[in-house]
Amino acid sequence: MMYMLKVENLYAGYGSSEVLTGVSLEVAQGRVVALIGANGAGKTTTMRAISGMLKPRRGRVLLDGEPVQGKDASRIAGLGLAHAPEGRRVFGPLSVEDNLLLGAYGRLPLFWGYRGRAARDLDKIYVLFPVLHERRLQSAGTLSGGEQQMLAIGRALMAGPKVMLLDEPSMGLAPVIVQEVFATIRNLKAAGITLLLVEQFARSALEVADYAYVMERGRIVAEGVPDELYRDERVLAAYLG
Amino acid sequence: MITAQIVVSGALMGLVYALVAYGFQLTYATSKSINFGQGELVMLSAFFSLTLLDWGVPYWLMVPGGLLFGVLLGLFVERAAVRLALEQKSEGWILLTIIVGLLGFSAAENIWGRDDRPFPTPISSDALHIFGVSITPVEISVAIGVFALMGLIELFKRKTLLGKAFEAVSADREAAELMGISATRTVMLSYGLSGLVAAMAGILVSPITTVGPTMASALILKAFSVAVVAGLDSGFGVVIVGIFLGSLESLTSFYIGSGWREAPGLILLILALAARPNGVFGKAGIRKV
Ligand SMILES: Nc1ncnc2c1ncn2[C@@H]1O[C@H](COP(=O)(O)OP(=O)(O)O)[C@@H](O)[C@H]1O
Ligand SMILES: [Mg+2]
Repeated sequence: MMYMLKVENLYAGYGSSEVLTGVSLEVAQGRVVALIGANGAGKTTTMRAISGMLKPRRGRVLLDGEPVQGKDASRIAGLGLAHAPEGRRVFGPLSVEDNLLLGAYGRLPLFWGYRGRAARDLDKIYVLFPVLHERRLQSAGTLSGGEQQMLAIGRALMAGPKVMLLDEPSMGLAPVIVQEVFATIRNLKAAGITLLLVEQFARSALEVADYAYVMERGRIVAEGVPDELYRDERVLAAYLG
Repeated sequence: MITAQIVVSGALMGLVYALVAYGFQLTYATSKSINFGQGELVMLSAFFSLTLLDWGVPYWLMVPGGLLFGVLLGLFVERAAVRLALEQKSEGWILLTIIVGLLGFSAAENIWGRDDRPFPTPISSDALHIFGVSITPVEISVAIGVFALMGLIELFKRKTLLGKAFEAVSADREAAELMGISATRTVMLSYGLSGLVAAMAGILVSPITTVGPTMASALILKAFSVAVVAGLDSGFGVVIVGIFLGSLESLTSFYIGSGWREAPGLILLILALAARPNGVFGKAGIRKV
């Protein structure tokens, strides 16, 4: 089995507080892996520690076999990890298209000709998200929450990443939009994107995931293919009730 | 008519305040920090440019040389006074940039002496009369230089991918890092650009003000006022506030007395500070650094 992302015994926290105490997980190439757990369990912290937004205190993060823990977030991004963070974090004052172009920052020329070089990838994103094409000249801050989430996903895709981390894409969205977000995730899966997904809608996440981890207070407490987790009484009661 | 004349020459000086204030905005955008020794950068670049002229470098070659020197000074300030403080999320850059400025001041006194020296320029100082207002080509060159440089930098920010990355870091530093953009290098870039801007200001005003160690000490205070009033993050607002302050100053100086020339800038600064109880940098700003 080829692991695109492998996290081994990861410790991380903020200031004096330890949040993650030995998290291990694996994401195989082309698979969708869900990370579920209650609010405050440490899912976002796990993603931040993987992508370098937060420096892990111990443990290893292997991206396509290469250790990346301790590197700057910008380096890790350049090595093929795209993190669509919690809260979307689109660049509000910049246009939708500029946001997408910046997603591919690492592989485009910095001064001239970047637009031409990115044209084909941009077109793919616009096929996936026609609304982004309609709004490509608008500043990202004027988009609705759902559109911003599409933009955050499109921006991450523009990098052509080896692994994508997607943190609570449905957060704060209306139910119909949440349906759209999950439809998008199924599209990503069909396209063969390797994805680590954090979701509060655990049931929907398990429907699309190939494998899942359950997190509690900074540790992985259960894991398995979705069918196994559905049979786990404790997991069922706590997260899928 | 005399009033129009006074407003025009004041406004030109105001454009220089605006240019230096724009330099404050550039670094504030990427790092929520500014170089309090920016005035010394203006002065050192002017001295260096004058030295190039002394060495016989032709004026139009001196300009890029002087500007490059400014860029290097800006990068030096970032490395020596800003980067560590930002990494430690402290506000140490305030004191450190002041100290680097003081060092620059002493260096200038030792290298070039304390005297004010004229700055030769091939651009004519013979007044032209336009709609009854007399204006010299040197003064016109100030306006052209200010707008050209600000325009070029804005064009860079909007049209190149590197410029967009600059804007991305300004908008959300962490998210920009997730795109593979190095925030550290972007902050360097912004300090390089603010050094460029300072050098341009030095080259533009020197023919009017002469060159000396203290040439920029009044200038910098007023540029700071302009930046604070216009907002440290609000683009071309500095041009309007700069022109306003420059005009107000020369009107004050003419109608009230030349001793009162500095008063409007200080009053403006006091008012701006009073209107911002969180301080110039704002609470949110400091937390985000
Ligand atoms: N910036 C922060 N500073 C201090 N503590 C934090 C910070 N972010 C999160 N935490 C704490 O870390 C724990 C895990 O948070 P988080 O990873 O956001 O959980 P989840 O994403 O699973 O809801 C929580 O107890 C939270 O209070
Ligand atoms: Mg979270």
